[in-house]
Amino acid sequence: MALLDVSDIHVRYGDMVALRGLSLKVEEGEVVCIIGPNGAGKSTTLAAIAGGVRPYRGEIRYDGQPILGTPPDKIATMGVSLVPEGRHIFGSLTVAENLIIGAYMRKDKAEVARDRERILALLPRLAERIDFPAGRLSGGEQQMLAVARAVMTRPKLLLVDEPSLGLAPKIVDQIYEILLELRKTEGLTLVINEQSSNRVLKFADRVNVLRQGEIRLAGTAAELADGAAIRQAYFGFEHGAQPAPAMQTPTQASTGGAA
Amino acid sequence: MDRILSNIRTLQTPVLLIVLLAIVSGLASLTGSDAMATTIAEMMIRVVVVVGLYVFIGNSGIISFGHISFMCIGAYAAAWMTAAPTFKQIMLGGLPAWLQTEQYPFLVAMAFAAVLPAIVGLALGGAITRLGGIACSIATFAFLMITNSVYANWDSVTAGVSSIIGIPTLVGPWVAWVFAGVAILAAWFYQISRHGLMLRATRDDPVAAQASGINLVKARLGAFVLSAALVGLGGGLYAQFLGILTVDPFYLGLTFITLAMLVVGGMSSLTGAVIGVIGVTIIVELLRMFERGSMGPITLPPGSQELGLGILMALILVLRPTGLSGGRELKLFGRSRPAAPAAPEAAQAAPAE
Amino acid sequence: MIGFIQNLIDALSLGGLYALTALGIGLLFGILRLINLAHGDLISVAAYALIVPSVDVTARMFIGDFNILFLLPSIALIVILLALATDLMAFRPLRKATTPTLMIASFAVSYIIQNGILMIYGSRPKAINLWGAANQQIQVGDLRVPLLQVITVVVTIALMVGLSLFLSKTRYGVQMRAAAEDFRMAQYLGVKGNFVIGIAFAISGILAAAVGLLYVTQSGSLSHTMGVPLALFAFVAVVVGGMGSLPGAVVGGFAIGFVVTMLQAYLPPDLRVFRDAFAFAIVILVLLFRPQGLIPARNVIERV
Repeated sequence: MALLDVSDIHVRYGDMVALRGLSLKVEEGEVVCIIGPNGAGKSTTLAAIAGGVRPYRGEIRYDGQPILGTPPDKIATMGVSLVPEGRHIFGSLTVAENLIIGAYMRKDKAEVARDRERILALLPRLAERIDFPAGRLSGGEQQMLAVARAVMTRPKLLLVDEPSLGLAPKIVDQIYEILLELRKTEGLTLVINEQSSNRVLKFADRVNVLRQGEIRLAGTAAELADGAAIRQAYFGFEHGAQPAPAMQTPTQASTGGAA
Repeated sequence: MDRILSNIRTLQTPVLLIVLLAIVSGLASLTGSDAMATTIAEMMIRVVVVVGLYVFIGNSGIISFGHISFMCIGAYAAAWMTAAPTFKQIMLGGLPAWLQTEQYPFLVAMAFAAVLPAIVGLALGGAITRLGGIACSIATFAFLMITNSVYANWDSVTAGVSSIIGIPTLVGPWVAWVFAGVAILAAWFYQISRHGLMLRATRDDPVAAQASGINLVKARLGAFVLSAALVGLGGGLYAQFLGILTVDPFYLGLTFITLAMLVVGGMSSLTGAVIGVIGVTIIVELLRMFERGSMGPITLPPGSQELGLGILMALILVLRPTGLSGGRELKLFGRSRPAAPAAPEAAQAAPAE
Repeated sequence: MIGFIQNLIDALSLGGLYALTALGIGLLFGILRLINLAHGDLISVAAYALIVPSVDVTARMFIGDFNILFLLPSIALIVILLALATDLMAFRPLRKATTPTLMIASFAVSYIIQNGILMIYGSRPKAINLWGAANQQIQVGDLRVPLLQVITVVVTIALMVGLSLFLSKTRYGVQMRAAAEDFRMAQYLGVKGNFVIGIAFAISGILAAAVGLLYVTQSGSLSHTMGVPLALFAFVAVVVGGMGSLPGAVVGGFAIGFVVTMLQAYLPPDLRVFRDAFAFAIVILVLLFRPQGLIPARNVIERV
């Protein structure tokens, strides 16, 4: 049985259709990437799983239980944690408070303290700034804090929405290192959204290409390794039928409509 | 032929609403009671006020808590024009001579009751319509407080806490009905005008509307001024209906009742504004009868009327946020399609709700 | 000089009441984006709960006669329950509603509570004497300070310190701050939204109860709209201080107390009557020229 089983979900914002019949299966321990252009519905997919957006049709099962319509706080206690796009750290709270917020719902207080130490050991930059208001951290540090905060909830399933958005490549590398390290040590299952495929193909088990609210292509990383099929699904036209400039990865400057 | 048809389609909603009001008024006058005539006259005046309120709130999507100020300003404007000069010379020494010594005809007074609030609305609206929705709502609320404080204390022109008396009472049910009709038509023609459509576009999607070149502030300001004028007109009618004027009624209570009417009817359609007034009036009258014990065995304690209205409004907000009208307009025929080229006006008349 | 100090003390105690009221309003605004116009009516209820429910003109003490150790928790409990009830019945079903819709709903709640009081207690104001001893004056040099003002300032400070300790040191306080900053994100991290909101309503109830008791001791009378002016000025304070910022609400409360007292004391008499108009004009000016208030909140209240 898949840890996460999303089947045929439809989401609409007013008149705008965001997802039309999206299905997605994630097995325990997998790293699944969803790639797609801005506005394809990637963020909506993760928000729907985490309970922040309610599909009007379809079903979501987590660990065998239907969770569609369950409030986000309840889903969080079931072991699903979301690192949303734009990080959403609590800027007026200290780094320590940001970390502990996610752990309040846990009963294993001793474990919480140990988790905190372990995460801070991985992220010395945060440890140095532990009593700073989180709003004063740099963008990269905030992204790390967002990941660390999500991990403090001890999730089984971690949803990460565009971790590389607006960050320098070097920092992005670090963040991915941490994610993969956590996967190894915590046995995390990961679903990661990205706009571009070049990084995710290296470590993802499976890749889904999302465009206009639908999965256009799904396969293992090995199957899709050469990238041609991905490009075709991503841009929606035959590879080679259009000149190369269209191949550019969408820039981070356009943020509207990605919800 | 097409043209006539399209005109009928365009005008059916306001005409139907005006006819509906005439029917309600006619039915009520069958009872022949004075109390009923008073209730109907008051209801018609509230139609003017709530339709005026709707012109801004319904089209812009911004809630105003301050429009009763315009009603107050309009009521006093009418009173200044029509109250007995002897009274004005003694009690309202602060008025300019042309108001103090003269007594103007009814229609002139009504015009003044619309123009003065419109001027105030232009000044206020020019400043606050550029604010975001919440901030604008708060500013209107502050405006209500300011007007109340000023009119309650500016003794030389408002007689302060005492009242202005001797205003000719010329407004009965049918006079008020005529003005209700005027207000409904004004609101309708605004709503289907280019200007109104632009504003409704900003209500539905401010970012997209602005991106397509609509001047948000100008669009809002136009509606604000028109709505101030209509609400002021309602105030003028109210003054000439009561014959005696104090500041007290123009405060939170009336603000609440008029907003409740708009919410109950549905604040995004003109039909909602009118139906809300009729519906709330009927419910309040029924509760009032129960309170008086004239409804048989059940007698409700005093205050039930207000309590009932509050609960009704809360229920509507929770259970049917689009109000009784559901945001639609009253129509007999011709579900207008935006695509139908023969009837462009009709297409515009049906806002996408 | 003595006159000025006297005014300053007046300003401080009036500002204290406004600050406590503004905290109650600001707390809910921070979390729910609710401008709770019914907060003033919670204050009225705190005062009315002291007497035996009846439409008689003379008030008979009920809870008001209790020992203060019972009186305080009883009144607080009544107001807390009422605050929670307003959330449960009116605001919880409107969690996804916009701020203006919430504002209208709170207007309805306010109208319901006021008329509920009217039904139970009658419409005429009633005289009531709670803690009359607190109205005596203390002589300090040339200065005569009403004891009640001192009590008001002390209670204000105590409640503010208590609230800030709660917010910074307890888990629910931290959750509440997180929820105020980004409600949805807090939920994603397992913070129970409705529970945290419930706590916020309960705290606003406690604050309203404190203000109600202090205010009725000072005014000595009950009326079904007694809380409204307090809430209106507190609302000004919230806007001036910075919507959604709690330090802003406190600073705003004291600032409004100061401005109102000083306008009352130093405006020429024929302008003095327009004091409230000046106070509310400040709201519009702040919105126009410094919409973020004196102490801006961290979160962006409204984009566009």
